[in-house]
Order: sequence, then structure tokens, then C-alpha cells
Amino acid sequence: MKNLMLRRVLLSGVLVLSVLAVGCAKKSVKAPPTPPPAPPQEHATPPTPPKSDTGTETPTPPPTNVSTDFQPAFFDLDSYSLREDARTALDADAKLLRDKTDAKLTIEGHCDERGTDEYNQALGEKRAQAAKEYLVNAGIDGGRIQVVSYGKERPFDTGHDESAWAKNRRAHLVSR
Amino acid sequence: MTPNVTTPRSRRARTACHAAACLALLLGMPGGARIAGAQTGDVRIDISSGAGKRIPLLVESLQTGGDATARPTSVIADTVLANDLACAGVFDVSRAWTDTPPAELQAVVGGKWTVNGNQVRLEGEVHDLPARRSIFSHEYKGTLRDQRRLVHQFADDVVLQFTGEPGISQTRIAFSAPEGRNKELYVMDWDGQNLQALTRDRSIALSPAFSPEGSLLLFTSYRAGTGPQIYVIPSAGGKPFLISGRTGINTSASYSPSGREIACTLSLEGNPEIYVLDARGGSPQRITSSRAIDTSPAWSPTGREIAFTSDRGGGFQVYVMDREGGNVRRLTYEVGNTDSPAWSPKGDRIAFVSRTGAGFDINVCRADGSGVRRVASGDSNENPKWSPDGRHLVFASNRGGSFGLWVSDLDDHPPRKLDTGGRVALSPAWSPRPGASGTSSN
Repeated sequence: MKNLMLRRVLLSGVLVLSVLAVGCAKKSVKAPPTPPPAPPQEHATPPTPPKSDTGTETPTPPPTNVSTDFQPAFFDLDSYSLREDARTALDADAKLLRDKTDAKLTIEGHCDERGTDEYNQALGEKRAQAAKEYLVNAGIDGGRIQVVSYGKERPFDTGHDESAWAKNRRAHLVSR
Repeated sequence: MTPNVTTPRSRRARTACHAAACLALLLGMPGGARIAGAQTGDVRIDISSGAGKRIPLLVESLQTGGDATARPTSVIADTVLANDLACAGVFDVSRAWTDTPPAELQAVVGGKWTVNGNQVRLEGEVHDLPARRSIFSHEYKGTLRDQRRLVHQFADDVVLQFTGEPGISQTRIAFSAPEGRNKELYVMDWDGQNLQALTRDRSIALSPAFSPEGSLLLFTSYRAGTGPQIYVIPSAGGKPFLISGRTGINTSASYSPSGREIACTLSLEGNPEIYVLDARGGSPQRITSSRAIDTSPAWSPTGREIAFTSDRGGGFQVYVMDREGGNVRRLTYEVGNTDSPAWSPKGDRIAFVSRTGAGFDINVCRADGSGVRRVASGDSNENPKWSPDGRHLVFASNRGGSFGLWVSDLDDHPPRKLDTGGRVALSPAWSPRPGASGTSSN
């Protein structure tokens, strides 16, 4: 039973990945990349998180950052262990980073909408850190990688079902 | 409801522990015998568990005197007074101007409303029917601008008369409201009046928590663009100041009951752990150390213990530890995961959420984890916070569509929705009463 579920989750992850891969080109046309997060600054400065350009009426805002360069790592519910598909994605990301030695990136940790704000902020942090640790173990300089947890605040898909949730449980790699 | 209920209620307010426990037993309150949780040494007896019956009370229209403005303003005062008393969780209120009162009334509340120019005088009066005498009368003076506050003061005094503890109708509620992709903080009177925007950062503001005397709110914000940081803002409005912007997450902050310390979640050493900071955000002391997630710290009212959420046992559950981090014990054993602990103001109970298929239920248990009782279920019910008198829980729920704030009186009455000016509302915080101060020595 558990195995079956696990397999189903893995399978859906793979499906999601392939859908994302196919959808990437089109998506970047529809939703231009929002500016990367501002560099670390002193407190009390003007707010910088990306502003929605679509206004409040749109139920489907664009994801925080659409990067066609890096592949996101997806996670199971409440989990911050890297699945096989997540490792495969991060292997590709590590290769990319080895080729572009000057590239720096932010890893955003994201969660699905279930769970409290506070728990999801911690969970997003753990996911982003798990991805960073994997990249560092793959030989990438940790100094190039910054980690930010968005909890459930920046869903990739604003739907309320498992297919949306599966896309939202992710470590999202963004160039900066 | 019998007339003599008034007596035990007010007596319960004053008596020693065992007497209160006995009365609770007599009244069939499930918690009576074990009000304890006593081994924690951090418990005051709850005189207001709300499991008892309500006192039938008639609110009469205030008589008017003075200027012609007295009449229209008195109508507002009548409405506010009746609403305050009806929402106190203590009374079954009949409004003399619309309702037929029940046969066995306990008391009548009314008085006189006099306006002279800008000056308002409310002569409030409570008449006990079985005793056949006035049991309370008091004069409240102010300006027309304060008129709601005058009525709230009277209502709180009426609650004090019947329970031994003032009501909470002068308290405020802060919350986080989605605006597009962002969230801003708002604050309003507990009855939905005087809604005021606190942040205009076009960023994500979450998890507000009042200081023990109510003048400040801690919250989590992404306003600097570098991830979640902890800020403080005057609860009457003003400029936010950074409390903790350390590397990693800075979230889930709350003042200790003395106001001298802040518990929060930081990941500056890599893993999300619970820290205690001084009130300015300095000198972090780490008080958890597990490889799992530890977050959502909630102080006990004495400041000696902290409830928190951890996934150290697999799924996330609520635990309790001493302020220094020792003596960790698991509080909840629900099948679904649990989170969002909130310690009752008297220390006897802890509210928490438990995960269901669709979202969360809200539960209340004793401080030792026993006697779990479901308070709100259906759709999702999140972020429970106690009123300062421990009679109510405010929580966010998406029952009836989008998320709003609801209040449970912790008895068999259904929760009521708070007016948030039509805004979607999340993550509430309930202010202390005005004039409250830090309570304990830590």
C-alpha cells in the first residue's frame, strides 16, 4: 500500500517534470521573469519582493521566478528529503553550475498551501537547504548559493488539488 | 438557568482551587476534576471554561436626556451594549426593543444616555431580578468621539459583576490580509469597528503577536526582500523596526508574558530552531536542538514554559519544554499532525490545530495534554488565539468560502464571524485589555 502510494507520488513527480519541461518555453513568453530578489540590504528599506503586474483580480499570478536554466527539485508532503527525481534535477543543475563558474543563484524553498505559515516557512527553509547541500556535495561552492524560504506564499500553481500541491512543494533555483 | 447560578459564578471567581474544581464537577464541566495539569506547576484555575450555562439578561433601551443628538446616538449605544454582552460568552441576551424576553430572567441592564454638546454621560445600571435590587450602577463620561468606548467600559463592568473578571470588549484584533500576491497587516476593534491598515509594504506580512501591554505587534515580513524577518510595529500604527534579520528564516515571534524576551524561530545555525531573544532582538539563546524542524513557540502565561511544534517524531506534533529548553515532553498524540499551540491566559489549557483531509480542526486540551476537545471543524480552521479572559478563541477559517476570522465561545454555541470589512483575513492576534501589563517575573 505504502509502496504503491510512493510509486504513484514518484510517477506524478515525473509527470509534472515532463509537463514543466514541455511547458517551459511557452510559460516564459506568457510570464516574463520577475526581477530577482534584491541583494541583502539594511533593514527598513523600501519593500522589494516582486510586485504582481497583473493586479489583484487575477487568480493565477505568475510564479516568483521563471527560470528556464535550472530544474526545480520537487518534494513529498511534509518532506525535505530529496527524491530520486529531485536528485536527477539537481545533478543537471550542478552540471550547469560547473559550466557557468560565475553564475550565482538563490534557492527558494516553497511549500503547498496545507500547513501553517510558521511550519511552512521552516519546511521551505529545510527544502532549500537540502537542495543547497546536495549541490555543495556535488562540488559547487556554497558561497554562490543563497537560500530563501517562501513557505506557502509564492505557489507555482494556485490550484487546490494534489496536482497543484505537487508543483508547489519545491526547491526553486533562480539565477541572481 | 436558575437564579442561584449567579452566586456560584461570582464565588467561583474568588475561591481557592479545590472549591473551584468541586464546583466545576458539580456543574458537570468535563475538566473539573483534573483542572490540574498540576505537575507543570504553571497553572491557574480557570473560572471561565464556558461549559456552563448562560445567564438570561435583558438589555433595555437607554433613556435619553440633554440635546436632541442624544436620541440617535443612544440607539447606537444600545446596539453596541447588547452586542458586547451577547458576545461575552456569559449571557443569553434579549434586546428589549426587538426580543420577547424569556420567563426566567436573571438581570436587566439599562440606564441613561445624556448628551450636552460634545459631552456624553452614560449612567449604567444593572438590576438583579431574583434579588430585586440594583447590583451595579456607574457613571461613564466622555466625548461623542468616545461614545463606543464608554459603552464598552460599561459592558466590561457588567461582565465583571457576574463573573468576577472584566469583559474583553475594549480589546483589538490584528490580522494578515491577502492583497494580490502580498499580505498586509490590519488591526481593528474586536467588534470589527475602526479597521486600520498597519503595513503598506506591498510585501508579505504574517504572524502578528501583541506585546503583553498591547502597544506593539511583532510580525514576520519579507519587506527587505531577503527572506522572512521579524519586525515590530506600534499597534496603533507607525513605522516597523527590524528585530531579527539574521541569515536564514526569522519567524514565529512572540513576547514573553513579561515583555522582556521574544521567542522565535531562526535558522542562523542551519536548522530551524527555537531561540529566545531579548526584547530588542539581541543576545539569541538557542533552546532547541534537534535535526528536525522546531517552530511555532507559544509561551505559558508564567513564562516558565514554551509549547512548540516539531517533526522530530515523524509527523509534526506539539511539544512542551521549559523556558531553558529542558524537560521536553510531547503534548499531542493526534493521528493527524498538530501545530499552532496557543496557551490559555490562565495556563490551564492549550489550543492547537490538527490536520484533517481538507485542512485543520481546532482542539483544546489541558496543559498536560489530556482531555482533548474539538472546538471547530469543517473546512479549515487555523491559528487559534485566546481572548485575554480565556473565554474565546479567535481563528481563521474558510467555512463559507474565503478565509475570515471566527470566534468560538468554547461552548455549544456555533462560532460567529468577525466583520473584517469584507477582507479576506488570516493569522489573527488578540490584544490584551487596555491597561494590561506584563504579568510575571521572567
